[in-house]
Amino acid sequence: MTHKQAIIVGGGPAGLAAALRLKEKGVNDILILEREKLLGGILRQCIHDGFGLTRFGESLSGPEYAQRFIDRVLDAGIECITDCTVLDITPDKVVTAASREHGLMQLQADVVLLTMGCRERTRGALATPGTRPAGVYTAGVAQNYINLQNIMVGREVVILGSGDIGLIMARRMTLEGAHVKGVYEVQPYPSGLPRNIEQCLNDYHIPLHLSHTVVDIRGRERLTSVVVAQCDERFRPIPGTEEEIPCDTLILSVGLIPENELSLAAGVELDARTRGAFVDEHCQTMVPGIFAAGNVLHVHDLVDFVSLEAEALADSAAEYLLQGSLPACPLEVKAGNNVGHVIPQRISGTRDFTLSLRVRQPLVNVSVVVRQNGREVLRKKMRKALPAEMIQLPVKAAKLTDDADMEVCVE
Amino acid sequence: MQNYDVIIIGGGAVGSAVARELTRWRLSVAVLEKESDVCTQTSGRNTGMLHAGFLYKPGSLKAQCAVEGNAEFDQVARELGVPFKRTGKLIVGFTEEDKARLEYFIERGRINGVPGMELIDRKRMDEIDPSAGGNFAIHCPSSGILDPFIYTIALAENAVKNGAKYHLYTEVTGVDRLDDGRHVLHTSQGDFSCRWVVNSAGLNSAKVSAMLGIPGYVIQPVKGEYFVLDKKAGAFAKIPVYPAPTAKFTFDTHATPTVDGNVLVGPNSFNVEDGEDYSVRQVGMDGLQESGARMFKHMKRDYYIRTFAGARPKRIDPATGEVQDFLIECRDDVPGVVNLVGIESPGLTSALPIARRVVNMIREREELAPNPDFDPIRRGITRFHEASREEQAKLISENPDYGEIVCRCETITRAEIIAAIHNPLGVCTVNGIKVRTRASMGRCQGGYCETRITAMIREELKKAVTDVRLTNGDSYMFTGYVKGGEQA
Amino acid sequence: MKRTFTCIVCPNGCEIEAEYEGTEVLTVTGNLCPKGRTYVTQELVDPRRTIATSVRVTGGTLPLVSVRLTNAIPKDRIFDVMREINGRTLTAPTHIGDIVIKNILGLDSDVIVTKNIQKV
Repeated sequence: MTHKQAIIVGGGPAGLAAALRLKEKGVNDILILEREKLLGGILRQCIHDGFGLTRFGESLSGPEYAQRFIDRVLDAGIECITDCTVLDITPDKVVTAASREHGLMQLQADVVLLTMGCRERTRGALATPGTRPAGVYTAGVAQNYINLQNIMVGREVVILGSGDIGLIMARRMTLEGAHVKGVYEVQPYPSGLPRNIEQCLNDYHIPLHLSHTVVDIRGRERLTSVVVAQCDERFRPIPGTEEEIPCDTLILSVGLIPENELSLAAGVELDARTRGAFVDEHCQTMVPGIFAAGNVLHVHDLVDFVSLEAEALADSAAEYLLQGSLPACPLEVKAGNNVGHVIPQRISGTRDFTLSLRVRQPLVNVSVVVRQNGREVLRKKMRKALPAEMIQLPVKAAKLTDDADMEVCVE
Repeated sequence: MQNYDVIIIGGGAVGSAVARELTRWRLSVAVLEKESDVCTQTSGRNTGMLHAGFLYKPGSLKAQCAVEGNAEFDQVARELGVPFKRTGKLIVGFTEEDKARLEYFIERGRINGVPGMELIDRKRMDEIDPSAGGNFAIHCPSSGILDPFIYTIALAENAVKNGAKYHLYTEVTGVDRLDDGRHVLHTSQGDFSCRWVVNSAGLNSAKVSAMLGIPGYVIQPVKGEYFVLDKKAGAFAKIPVYPAPTAKFTFDTHATPTVDGNVLVGPNSFNVEDGEDYSVRQVGMDGLQESGARMFKHMKRDYYIRTFAGARPKRIDPATGEVQDFLIECRDDVPGVVNLVGIESPGLTSALPIARRVVNMIREREELAPNPDFDPIRRGITRFHEASREEQAKLISENPDYGEIVCRCETITRAEIIAAIHNPLGVCTVNGIKVRTRASMGRCQGGYCETRITAMIREELKKAVTDVRLTNGDSYMFTGYVKGGEQA
Repeated sequence: MKRTFTCIVCPNGCEIEAEYEGTEVLTVTGNLCPKGRTYVTQELVDPRRTIATSVRVTGGTLPLVSVRLTNAIPKDRIFDVMREINGRTLTAPTHIGDIVIKNILGLDSDVIVTKNIQKV
């Protein structure tokens, strides 16, 4: 069986950033496996700008952001197999993959880096009532057709969910001549970033209806209309508020789910809150030598943070490879009041690490408070905290003890 | 005008079984199907259950055909390449009243000739499937699960292999009988003529029967809604779990593993006017969540991947509203017509037994010569994900298209999609590819592969973007190009 | 006059409370950086946006190449700019940074390619 020091599953932003950092750290025997014909992952279809402000200090489109990493990966001579789908990963890190060119491959890795990204929630998962006509697309699928394949999916558009991709597609389809009639969000607050509400909806006079959802989908062949209704605080439609909106297209932007089927095969344990792996401060899953970062671990708001997280992963993976082990992480990090989830879920208490979290609902004038055994380790004031935005805080080892679990609250 | 010996109206499981059985004889056979494919209606919208036959009145066609169809299905599945598992079934009860009814059905099953049924306690149930609800159950070992899409498609493909012709998008709008006894069928695609007409129009069977000169039947469509659950839930489901039949001898919501490892929860059951309205209702879904959880302990929202609805064409007595048996008739006052009305559950199990009865009715009225070239074998598309690692390596080395995974959830390769696009029936819809391969039937519901599949359909069949259809009728997927100009 | 602006300069998306007279900004609060004040001023005087879209490519591995503007343009000219871009076709290969339209409509912004597309 062919042996590799590091196999990276997925050549999107996380995988590319991790590969480069591994190489810089002196790991030379790296293989990236990518199922698409080209590297870059979902960024290839994200042609809007706004990427790279943190990373490069300029506003790039998705393909440009990706290309900067791709160029460096190729220059560094890192081996990549594209058009190659990983079928299985075992807990002892045997990776099975299929490709046209290389056939069925079985590879033994010392470390496996899970950087598969995420997928979109579908209508089926929502169980939205109605018929099943053509014209119902998730935002990412519509984006693929419109931005990569030159195919227009519809003309009269309703968008369900205010996730960022849905907002981006509202603007994108408007620019290409479609009429976006409105965005309907079941929550009382938007799930996308404020700047996207402003520049994708408000700029184009597209109404955003909060606390609304689609309660019926109509049309037997092509979509003919949807029925929307106002929802109460428990997200139940309020009878009598229904309104039928004629349209030929419904775009769903109702959430992203980390793509963890391969992780499960590898014996990796998942966190029900993030739907990604439980990881320690080294981005290592509970299976030694298997690491995860990027949207496969938890859904990020910005690709810049995906790259950063993947680089942190690579630092640890390189240490694991070159030193033979990583410090144990016996301390648990718990999501406390108002906190939806935290990454990592385990720490050593002896090293610096970056804490990522999201709040459960929009909050103003709050503090993120990190405690060990009731002792305050860190407090950060925030004027506002939105579920749409990932909060990241560097935590210094000097402030930590190595004998108590940690709790993160927003107060 | 196209002329045939026999024309079958309706290409569902029963119509296709009739076509297949007729091609054992020297006859020119055509099937007229008004939809885009052979399994878009009742045949594709059900639980995929191979029924045992204990539910039906002794001596009825439903009882006879189900028992007959059940007994032969191992061989049928082998011949036609149909995914099938003889799982057995649990019919579970909670109360003493349930128990009495279960005992009644064990006796009925015995009379109908259903083998091996027995009443078991919770301990035995736990050995068979701990995720099943209920305090006790009938264990019926002869029940099974099959892929209803592939079964219908396989019957149709085998009929085509043996000479039958399928005309899709062909809706019969009227029938004339000529002086020489032949029938002229007016359709949305022009006129057809034939000596024999078989009505297997399912939900429209009463309407077609009237067109053929046999009015008076009433079809009551009974709709049912379903959830499809993720394979993660399927890992818990070992065997179909049905509740004790209702006082009206019908089953309420059940939970059934599919041959592919998902779980179906449903159907509920309610009368509708329009059987071809397949919308699902919020109230229906809410009800299924609750009743499904009684049958299957792992029923939860996290596992939802899809909902669907189907309708059973029940023939009812217009006077009493009572549900009646299958109707299989060939009347001397309406010669040249075999009429199938009210073929509902257990229609899938009964498809071939019904088809043989149809053939026999024709043979009683005219001499048929056997077709010496008839081949009962139909080979399906070789499925990559069902192959061992060694076989997978071999498949890719022989055809590199097997190395390109198009649907990652179900591990379906480009080779399988291409084979499906060039299917013998000439079906070219996105859903047609889906039911033939399972691509986009997984948890991401086509989020990854649909864009690839539509591109392959356009490429392989040289279709314009505006000609790609999701399923029936004008279910166009796309409105045109984003940017005009010369298109590659 | 008082108004709330959502700053679009960076992903922070600050909610800025601004007091202003005509196009003169008197006070701003809520912005995390000085760019917020500049943004509000610009919004009052001459709101500008960048856009991203695509252009037909012939002879390439993809039928479209993504493009964007190098500088923001007046918001009310967005659809004029789209019309101008829609007429264009490129021939593969394309390279990131290639200029598709220089100084589009005299608006001091170039349309540049944002994706490398190889020739088939």
